[in-house]
Amino acid sequence: MEELKVAEETRVVGQAVPRLDAEAKVKGEARYADDLAFPGMLYGKAIRSPVPHARIKRLDLSKVAAHPGVACVVSPADIPGENVVPVIYRDMPLLAAEVVRYVGEPVALLAAETREAAYRAAELAEVEYEELPAVFDPLEAVKSDAPQVAVPEAAETGNVFNHMVIRKGDVARGFAEADEIVEGEYRVGYQEHVYIEPQGVIAVPEAGGMAIYGTLQCPFYVQNAVAAVLGLPLSKVRVVQTATGGGFGGKEDVPSQLAAMAAVLAWKSRRPVKVVYDREEDIATTSKRHPAVIRYRTGAKRDGRLVAVEVEFYYNAGAYQTLSSAVLWRGLIHAAGPYRIPNVKVDGYSVATNTVPCGAFRGFGSPQVIFAHESQMDELAVRLGMDPLELRERNALRVGDRTATDQLLEESVGLMDAIERARELSGWERLRREAEEFNRREPFRRRGIGVSTVMYGVGMGAKAPLLDKAGAYVKVEADGSVTVAVGNTEMGQGALTVLAQIAAEALGVRVEDVQLAPVDTSRVPDSGPTVASRTTTVAGAAVLDAARKIRARIEAAAREVLGADAVEIADSKVWPAGGDSGRAVPLSEVTRWMWVHNWDMGATGWAQGAPVDWDPETGLGKAYFVYAYACHIAEVEVDLLTGEAKVRRFWAVHDSGKIVNPALARGQVAGGVAQGIGYTLMEYLPSLEGRIEGTLMTYRIPTAPDMPEELVIDFVEAPYSDGPYGAKGIGEVPLMASHAAVANAISHAVGARLTEYPALPERVFALARNKTHPR
Amino acid sequence: MKKTGPVEIVKPKDLGEAIAFVRKGGMPLAGGTDAFVRIRKGFWDPPFLVYIGELPELREVEIREGGAEVGAAVTHAELLRSEVPRRLPIFRLVLEKLGAPAIREMGTIGGNVANASPAGDTLIPLYLLEARVNLVGPDGERSLAIEEFVLGPGKTALREGELIVSFWIPFPEGDPVPYFHKVGRRRALYIAVLSLGALLWLEGDVIREMRLALGAVAPTVVRPREVEAKLRGRRLSHEDLEPLCAELSAATSSITDIRGPDWYRREAAGRLLLGLLRLREA
Ligand SMILES: Cc1cc2nc3c(=O)[nH]c(=O)nc-3n(C[C@H](O)[C@H](O)[C@H](O)COP(=O)(O)OP(=O)(O)OC[C@H]3O[C@@H](n4cnc5c(N)ncnc54)[C@H](O)[C@@H]3O)c2cc1C
Repeated sequence: MEELKVAEETRVVGQAVPRLDAEAKVKGEARYADDLAFPGMLYGKAIRSPVPHARIKRLDLSKVAAHPGVACVVSPADIPGENVVPVIYRDMPLLAAEVVRYVGEPVALLAAETREAAYRAAELAEVEYEELPAVFDPLEAVKSDAPQVAVPEAAETGNVFNHMVIRKGDVARGFAEADEIVEGEYRVGYQEHVYIEPQGVIAVPEAGGMAIYGTLQCPFYVQNAVAAVLGLPLSKVRVVQTATGGGFGGKEDVPSQLAAMAAVLAWKSRRPVKVVYDREEDIATTSKRHPAVIRYRTGAKRDGRLVAVEVEFYYNAGAYQTLSSAVLWRGLIHAAGPYRIPNVKVDGYSVATNTVPCGAFRGFGSPQVIFAHESQMDELAVRLGMDPLELRERNALRVGDRTATDQLLEESVGLMDAIERARELSGWERLRREAEEFNRREPFRRRGIGVSTVMYGVGMGAKAPLLDKAGAYVKVEADGSVTVAVGNTEMGQGALTVLAQIAAEALGVRVEDVQLAPVDTSRVPDSGPTVASRTTTVAGAAVLDAARKIRARIEAAAREVLGADAVEIADSKVWPAGGDSGRAVPLSEVTRWMWVHNWDMGATGWAQGAPVDWDPETGLGKAYFVYAYACHIAEVEVDLLTGEAKVRRFWAVHDSGKIVNPALARGQVAGGVAQGIGYTLMEYLPSLEGRIEGTLMTYRIPTAPDMPEELVIDFVEAPYSDGPYGAKGIGEVPLMASHAAVANAISHAVGARLTEYPALPERVFALARNKTHPR
Repeated sequence: MKKTGPVEIVKPKDLGEAIAFVRKGGMPLAGGTDAFVRIRKGFWDPPFLVYIGELPELREVEIREGGAEVGAAVTHAELLRSEVPRRLPIFRLVLEKLGAPAIREMGTIGGNVANASPAGDTLIPLYLLEARVNLVGPDGERSLAIEEFVLGPGKTALREGELIVSFWIPFPEGDPVPYFHKVGRRRALYIAVLSLGALLWLEGDVIREMRLALGAVAPTVVRPREVEAKLRGRRLSHEDLEPLCAELSAATSSITDIRGPDWYRREAAGRLLLGLLRLREA
């Protein structure tokens, strides 16, 4: 990667190439998990706890086993390997054997000939529970007299799974120097992924091992989990990704649980077993964005310069660790925002409660703290009598600045450019003025303009630096077409297309000549998880590494074939360097020659994220190898009679380095804006005594009319020297930025601070009438 | 989370056979947008379904002297495309907010009324226009005022074996101005948290006559007749309407459910009266 040139001329990278998977999906040819069937296949189902916290006194599955159509039942004793769903810790059992810790926790499994039989049989289990005191609120769970939820080995103290800190400078001194101090407490509830395809896997016994087919983001996590529960070597477990209808983080760790269930049933029954959730089971029992309480204090000088930030935040992790430590860490690092602040103190806690384990969701612990820091910035602007965009400009990180973790930013900081572009595109001053005029004119409608600026650490970061690696395999075929294999997954985000563009660019072939191999852990290199907006940056670098090796061989062969000292290759054609490209020969002539002369046609590539280094004691250090930035501006209209809010117009400007595919990047941004609008305005999933009941009729995500009538998307490209062609990540950033702009616009519109998501009509109604209503 | 298995559907050859099937315990099935959701969830477990969606008597829209006759199995989309919204523009305002295109293509007005949800959107214009429900059953035909037909959430005056054949929707005198505001947590595909529909007969900015219907704030759609009476003779102005907001709130008997809290429904219902002022802009 070292000789990488940034901003070099590119032919394929930077083009809005149509998605390679589009045609199969549009024609209905893509095969999703539930589309697959295998001879003799059974339908697996979990028997789940109806209570939030209890000791299991008795488990009797005889009536389940006797139900017509039931082929197999599994209790904890039937698990051939370890009773665990390994994620970061190993505290979560596949089946609760002694104690259940949340409503919906699996206690046993069954497999039946039909789906209906499986549903009916699941209700026949006789399980005797001795209920234990339960706790659902993280602020209650940290109290010394709270019931113990966390498995002690997995917790730092009591129910605190993890407590992480940042200690930079001296906040006491910082606040003493401040001319203005603002303070607030912010709350958010769950956010559910609502990937269009619910969770689903099929386990198929094969050759002394197990094959898993499923909708998933991280095939190598699944392989690891299945090997653990079956007690098999990794090489005997093969995981094949089926066409995947969305993930958003929800298919990072959860497929490991489904696959382990299906695998144990398939192992015992010696038949293929499908486990596919319906929407209700999916919403009730799988991971979501962590609910949070965030207490925030910000101090600034009269000129707007931030001098101190103090944050204390609590994430409701649910009953088991799963990914919470990593989610908390990202929240910690992002808690202070994209600003230059000399004194920073952050305390983040992830807390065990008797609720469903939360996990990864686009933004991964950062949206919650972003709601807080961006609300604080606006409060501060009001207090200082300063324009909120200007306040951000005064504090925005630039090259040469140090982050909240004291990391020196040496390159690729496009935040100021993003802010300037957003200011220009939106006509910020005019926009604010027009809103004020509208509000003076209108008796029952209020418009507000909100802004948010964010930074995003690309990749796994210093909490899990060892995971930021990727392998790739690139093979040129005899006819000049190309096969690329990586372990990263397409889930709708366009990763396949972007990686194909990178390969095509490096090899000098047309993008339609590049094919990505299906993801099968026995055939593709481990490229690490498809998370953390890392695929373009890290897997892209691995593809580039492999492609460059092949390119060198092709050039060597071409020199022989053409009898030239040097050659040029583009669009799958080859010609002598400096010569007439009109006289080029097809690349296939060269590759055919290579094949005939027994040349090695394939190469592996490898990439690792640039080194990071962070000290858990002080919370200081190089947390991520590079950051992406964004500035979003929202115009919202609130109906004061009802509290309904509608986003009218929206401007989103991103720095994600070089944009490999502008159409796909725009798609990511538009989707992130929609998801952010949903998070702020409507997505509401109450939990009553740990019981979550949601359907798509009650859990509302935005529809097309909820999108702004005008959505302007633009990119400022601050290239990253270690990224392929200068690319950084984009996937998560749009969601991170959008919700806070909407929240700030609502507060601006009604003239009172929104401190809790979602801003349901009744909350905005109460806010606008300046009263708080009972929770 | 019980799931019901397959359910048999019969398709009667005519209305007589349909009534016979329903009398035997079959559940009428029109668009299925309510029925299938509930059956799949296990809330309803009918012995079998009687598909009435193509019976000619239930499929007609006819404009007659003095009113429109709308078949029970006419879909929301068909009604929207028919002559009815041109004559009764309140229907356009309401139907355009009902569900989303796919639901409007499948769901029927008869199914919406038989379902008797206090949030059922088509009930608002039917209450405002004082429609009648034409029924046919083993004992012959009868006709009920809409307010006598709907008894409570999911409860109607339908007798065993009876079907809704059509609705008689009288044209009101003059040219009342329609108003409809459906409050929800998003812009499409939502059930009303509350709604207010109105017909106003205006002389200049004076309200000569007025009808109001509130949705989702009581066990059935409500016509707050006392408020209507007090509005007569008032101006369409903030000063004249504002004092009646509290009375409109008082006409509700809201509950808290997954879609919203009672206090909000009550208060917002009152405030929505001021929404009528927006008619001045138009
Ligand atoms: C996604 C979604 C969104 C929706 N949005 C809305 C909305 O915005 N507003 C709204 O009001 N509703 C909404 N609904 C509910 C539903 O679509 C409507 O109530 C629809 O009008 C029902 O009509 P149907 O023909 O589908 O009824 P069906 O499901 O076929 O039947 C419903 C009930 O009515 C009975 N029935 C049907 N026809 C007759 C008849 N002729 N005589 C006697 N009984 C009969 C059936 O036996 C059954 O009990 C929504 C539903 C869904 C699934």
